[in-house]
Amino acid sequence: MHSMDHKKQIKRFVLENFLFTDDENALANGDSLIQKGIVDSTGMLELISHLEETCAIKVQNEEMIPANFDSIDAIGAFVARKLAA
Amino acid sequence: MRSLSSRLEQHALSAPDRRAIAEGARRIDYGTLWAQACAFAAFLKTSGITPGDRVALILNNGIEAVVACYGSWLAEAVVVPLNAQARARDLEPWLRHCDARCVVHAHDHADALGVLEALDTSILRVSVGAANSGSRNMDWQEAVATPGTLDAPQVEPDALAMILYTSGTTGAPKGVMLSHANLAANVDSITEYLELTRDDSIVTVLPFYYSYGQSVLHTHLASGAFLVIEQNLVFPHLMVETLAREKVSGFSGVPSTFLLLLNRVPLGDYDLSSLRYLTQAGGGMAPAVANRLREAIPQARLFIMYGQTEATARLAWLPPHMLDAKSGAVGLAIPGVELQVRNEAGQVCAAFEVGEVFARGPNVMLGYWRNPEATASVLIDGWLKTGDMGHTDTDGYLYLSGRRSDMIKTGAHRVHPKDVEEVLAELPGVGEVAVIGVDDDTLGQIIKAVIVRAPAADLSELRIKAHCRERLAAYKIPKIITFADALPKTASGKIRRSELQQQEAS
Repeated sequence: MHSMDHKKQIKRFVLENFLFTDDENALANGDSLIQKGIVDSTGMLELISHLEETCAIKVQNEEMIPANFDSIDAIGAFVARKLAA
Repeated sequence: MRSLSSRLEQHALSAPDRRAIAEGARRIDYGTLWAQACAFAAFLKTSGITPGDRVALILNNGIEAVVACYGSWLAEAVVVPLNAQARARDLEPWLRHCDARCVVHAHDHADALGVLEALDTSILRVSVGAANSGSRNMDWQEAVATPGTLDAPQVEPDALAMILYTSGTTGAPKGVMLSHANLAANVDSITEYLELTRDDSIVTVLPFYYSYGQSVLHTHLASGAFLVIEQNLVFPHLMVETLAREKVSGFSGVPSTFLLLLNRVPLGDYDLSSLRYLTQAGGGMAPAVANRLREAIPQARLFIMYGQTEATARLAWLPPHMLDAKSGAVGLAIPGVELQVRNEAGQVCAAFEVGEVFARGPNVMLGYWRNPEATASVLIDGWLKTGDMGHTDTDGYLYLSGRRSDMIKTGAHRVHPKDVEEVLAELPGVGEVAVIGVDDDTLGQIIKAVIVRAPAADLSELRIKAHCRERLAAYKIPKIITFADALPKTASGKIRRSELQQQEAS
């Protein structure tokens, strides 16, 4: 899967599971998922296991930081880096 | 009685450079905290806020929330910390009910902004976090730059200090009225059994708009201790890194907080040797979890505690050395408080006889704000009827066994099923609905909605959750939604929630 497709797919997951909508405009790619209260601690676990399953990556404990997971853009870039590594 | 603001003043005068609060990269010492609180008080006074006026806060945990609280007290106003996660449908009735004369809110809190537009324009608004965003909005930075120094006012012990709303808005809101004496008494009791001193420090993630978070804040400030504010537990290992980095002596949480740390963080990889005390309240902690926690952080004393907002925060504590001997107990009454378990006839129960817990002490609230009926139903002959069921053993240790009400405890939050049911019932296509709490390994309980669809209604789970998200705080949205043909009811048509609960358990 192309990294752009990953990002779209991650966004779709967040929209469906945390915002309960398919409206792409409900969330900007740069919006903070944590500050806006979209993803809480259990939500973050769900999101990470989803990424591990669908993108075939393994997220290490030290990688679980806001810089990697706080927005669709950040997650997209993180997944792209992981897949390139 | 020594008011909480006079205690803060004392630390500010005797040790102004002592660190008081850290929030991310921001730090504030006692001298600056006091100066900002004085400035905010001066701002309130010059803006026409008079003693007894309500100042509502719609803020996440942060330095501003603390300054606004103590500043309001210095202006002899009443602080009303509102749940910053709440949506407009709760915020508006709360603001109306408490008749707020000033609202301090995050500049980008969309629901707060919307509600303020709809409310009385004479309400003084203070916006935190961005430059002045309109003529009717005062900027926080300007407010705390108001010139003014003062001594802590001599407050009447029984004067109202704070209103904490404990429920949503189905029916009349319940705003717990706490006096300055209530707050001071509970701080004294807790400080005594935790043996807090100015050398203590704590990481706190508990919201200040709940009584537990308030209690952690005020006990530590009154001791001259240091508080490190963490905003959330989204990344539990970052919280543990903070505990290790700041070498704090204390940490407070609800059962789910400790479960997150135990299950998701290799605690042995961190140097947590500075931790002296851990406190737990907000729901029962399974003895197995308490044991895991003690194994993971063996030198820290674990304090199991019990209380409720109506008692300021705390009613009972289990001395750490009794944790094994009294496994499962919430302990003994805190200093200054009396506890009784009473049967249906109102008589004090014998040991091991289950009844309802009653409490008496200087921490028991004045009543519910502008709700004499609700007040009369729980304050009876000087005693607080807690709604919690339990028994004592022959040594007087209290064990809890559920509540009379249907309230759901999920993580650090309390949710009244009716608040969620009311929102769901507004969705076209929902015929009938019942909301219950079902057991969850981490959160204690999660919210489940059982829905009977109206004839020919086409309702998806996604549609239902989207409807809830528009109207409810995220933690109130049902995690599980099931559809049923009918709900179990009594002969008079009342939903049998307990039967749904039993179906769930079987």
